[in-house]
Amino acid sequence: MPATTAAAAKLLLQMVDDYTQREISPYDMSMDAAQDFPKGFVDKLTKTGFLGIMLPQEFGGAGFGPEVTATVLNHIARGNASTAVTLEGHFKTIDQILKYGTPALQQALLPTANDRIFAFSMTEASGGSNPMGISSTATREGDHWVINGDKIMITNGGLAQVYCVLVKTAPDELSVFVVDQDMPGFSFGKREDFIGLRGTPVGEIVMDHIVVDNDHLLGKLGDGGVIGDSAHDDARILMGAVLTGIMEHELKISTDYAKERKAGNTPLTDLQVTHRKVADMAMRKETTKLLYQRAAQLKAAGQPYSEEAAMAKAHGSRAAVSAGDDALQILAGYGYSREYPVEHLIRDARAMEIAEGTVEKMRSAIAKAEFTK
Amino acid sequence: MSKPELWVIAERRLDHIEPTTQQLITKAKGLAGDQFSVVAILLEATNDHLENELTAYGPDEIRVVRDDRFPTATDAEHADALQQLVTAYQPNSILFGATITGRSIAPRLQAKLQTGLTADCLDLRFDDETLVATKPSYGDNIMCEIICPDHRPQMATVRPNTFVAAPTTGDATVTTATVTFHPVDRLQVKAATPVVNTATTVGDASRVVALGRGAASSATIDSATKLAEKLGGRIGVSRPLTDQDRFTHDDQIGQSGNTIHPELIINFGISGAVQYLVGMQDSQTIVAVNADENAPIFDVADYGYVGDAQAFMTALLGQFN
Amino acid sequence: MKIVVCLKQVPETNDVTIDPVTHNLDRRGLAGVMNPFDKNAIELALNLKDSRDDVQVVLLTMGPDDYAESLREGMAMGADEGVLLSDRAFAGADTLATGYVLAQAVKKIGDADLILFGRQAVDADTGQVGPIVAEFLHQPQITYAANLRLSGANEVTAERLLEDTKQTLVAQLPAVVSVRSELNTPRYPTPRNIQLSFNKPLTTWHHDDLDLDDSRLGQAGSPTIVTKVYAPEPVKRELTPLTGTPSEAASQLITALKQRQLI
Repeated sequence: MPATTAAAAKLLLQMVDDYTQREISPYDMSMDAAQDFPKGFVDKLTKTGFLGIMLPQEFGGAGFGPEVTATVLNHIARGNASTAVTLEGHFKTIDQILKYGTPALQQALLPTANDRIFAFSMTEASGGSNPMGISSTATREGDHWVINGDKIMITNGGLAQVYCVLVKTAPDELSVFVVDQDMPGFSFGKREDFIGLRGTPVGEIVMDHIVVDNDHLLGKLGDGGVIGDSAHDDARILMGAVLTGIMEHELKISTDYAKERKAGNTPLTDLQVTHRKVADMAMRKETTKLLYQRAAQLKAAGQPYSEEAAMAKAHGSRAAVSAGDDALQILAGYGYSREYPVEHLIRDARAMEIAEGTVEKMRSAIAKAEFTK
Repeated sequence: MSKPELWVIAERRLDHIEPTTQQLITKAKGLAGDQFSVVAILLEATNDHLENELTAYGPDEIRVVRDDRFPTATDAEHADALQQLVTAYQPNSILFGATITGRSIAPRLQAKLQTGLTADCLDLRFDDETLVATKPSYGDNIMCEIICPDHRPQMATVRPNTFVAAPTTGDATVTTATVTFHPVDRLQVKAATPVVNTATTVGDASRVVALGRGAASSATIDSATKLAEKLGGRIGVSRPLTDQDRFTHDDQIGQSGNTIHPELIINFGISGAVQYLVGMQDSQTIVAVNADENAPIFDVADYGYVGDAQAFMTALLGQFN
Repeated sequence: MKIVVCLKQVPETNDVTIDPVTHNLDRRGLAGVMNPFDKNAIELALNLKDSRDDVQVVLLTMGPDDYAESLREGMAMGADEGVLLSDRAFAGADTLATGYVLAQAVKKIGDADLILFGRQAVDADTGQVGPIVAEFLHQPQITYAANLRLSGANEVTAERLLEDTKQTLVAQLPAVVSVRSELNTPRYPTPRNIQLSFNKPLTTWHHDDLDLDDSRLGQAGSPTIVTKVYAPEPVKRELTPLTGTPSEAASQLITALKQRQLI
């Protein structure tokens, strides 16, 4: 990293830590209970410029690279994972517009990404794992496209204003269009009642005869599968970062508690059973951190990073659930209590064994990559 | 040869003497022994007689300078008057209260005299004629002993309520001195109004009424609000009470909330979990009221009452009137 | 209108320890951050800048080269430029010697209408440098300002909260003001402004760039000497039980608090 970039990254992380401690952490427990961000929370995040962290400066963003961006989400997730995941959903979408959007589409959309949350939607009720099974369509009518369909389980669904949607443009052809919540025919459906990451809205959009022109096509016709895979890759790096942050939170709770408590007359910090758990947690955290940073470095260097991104998420999600389980056991009764955050950290981490591709899919992808070597 | 002088700069607080001045006179007398003469310096209006509030504490001399402009004089005007007195009397050392006024005038005077000033001291002693001032740093985590060997006078501001004022029987001589008042037109005090409570948050309140799970009823909170008003302080709460509508995270005391060290904290119905204690155990005077006599809060308290929080609070409020 | 904000860099935490062997302060591994109270002074300057077109905000600090990070942070918040006063000759300065160099630098910056300070630094906790600079510049001072507004072309009106009095003060500019932390909530530097701050001018002035009397610099120019540094003994408290009925106990407490001059 050039000296200026490193100095800017240091200042940024200092600001992020300060902001997380004062504006995000205090609401970690309450947003899990309320199943929403507090009032004004997202506005303040937006006003402070978080939405533009990785957006290039030419579009009014800050233009930080993949490594710094992932590290920011890691630090935010130490305070609250939902906030980090909402940013992850936004950033992965911007990434696809940067990779596949025409200059005209980028000029039209990206300057607004500093103030509006973007979302990427693939899943439908008919099944998320097989993209060819989707039933949303875009049909050409003269100069325009008409989009119909129903997308569910969208990260930031209902909160985001701009949606990249995966649709069929022919029976065997998947493409991505960009639609806006203000377009006629656009409406929001139900919000999911998930057990973890409960601050982040996950919801449904309904597209009923939305008319867009050809400029709203992302990439070329038939690029849908490639763009979808790419969005997954970018999301998985960031999820590795979020999971690292969750584990750092779990470790902090565990070590703070162990330093204060005794079992009988023995401090918990002198018990080998505590050592084993804390050491395992630390190793899980550190390996996940190395994996997401490695993937981010490859991405920054313009090299393939799909396999490493899958590893970061597959390894990190189980690691964070296990680390949460260890933390719960160290805190014992308090760990099992809703008054302490451990139980919701486990629920938060568990989401990432499913979202952006299940761990089973990750393993298939990693194995296939290995077979080709 | 007369003894070198140790000065205490008397401070006005509305129509009275700021208690820190009395505390400093008592401390100065203890320091002075036969070596120094303790002189209280009082700048007041012609019809003021604030010296009457100082005599009981037994300084060797109260040196009064009268001018009707003093009660509304600015920091620089005060410092100018004091500089003239320093030039005339050449004191060995000058003590100020580390109040807002003291901490504003003292460094201005220091710069005029080009001497050393140690801020917010918690202890003072003399090694021969050298004042050794102990000041906390790094949020009271570190203590520094500081001297000013080659410049006179030596100066220090001292944290309020560090020492206890003790009236004595000795008589103080009241003398008058004169200075030329040099008005500074570029700064005017336009108004001064008394306010009971200048604290806006629990973090900057000098008096705190703290409530926990054992003092969470709405009636108790109402009483606590009145008590905090009477004390000129704020209410703070332990974590469980932040779930109540009347309180937010900003009101919380403890590891995940505010770390506070007010002059006085009265804890009602707080057992004293470690996370709470680290947020308040450096308070100067700690009072604890709790039904459980084994509550850890009593381990850090100066005064403790085992019993019902509401009953005690009601009694305390009643006796305030 | 030109506003100079003086700031200090402090350790990121006050959890410092004493080396048991050397008895020196162990500050190893402690990153430096801008003194949090100084952000209130910057925020005040930026509010004035937001309210009119002609305001230029200059940040000023004295310290080693890494203090540039705090200047950069202030510029990321929105200040226009930063000046770092860095020289071996300045090292070891107490408040008097620091105030002298800052005052000389303010003169060199020139035409400053307002010189702002935070209420105090969180490490040394003195709050002395503002009044010292005011004296050296022969300017009026308003310390612990609870709010401040421009009340005329060349005039500010401020409120100052004393222990139990609220003063309203009117100062003709130029003037020195130190601010209370309750004055405002400092803005966060946005990620974009962090990047753009690296395009703003940051100048370092060494000894020879300023008009200085060497006898007033650094250790030689500092009247005070730290002779001993130690960790305080934990306060041992002795519990005085309050006994009897609630009313009897309350009366014992009131007597005790009166003795301590707390009520």
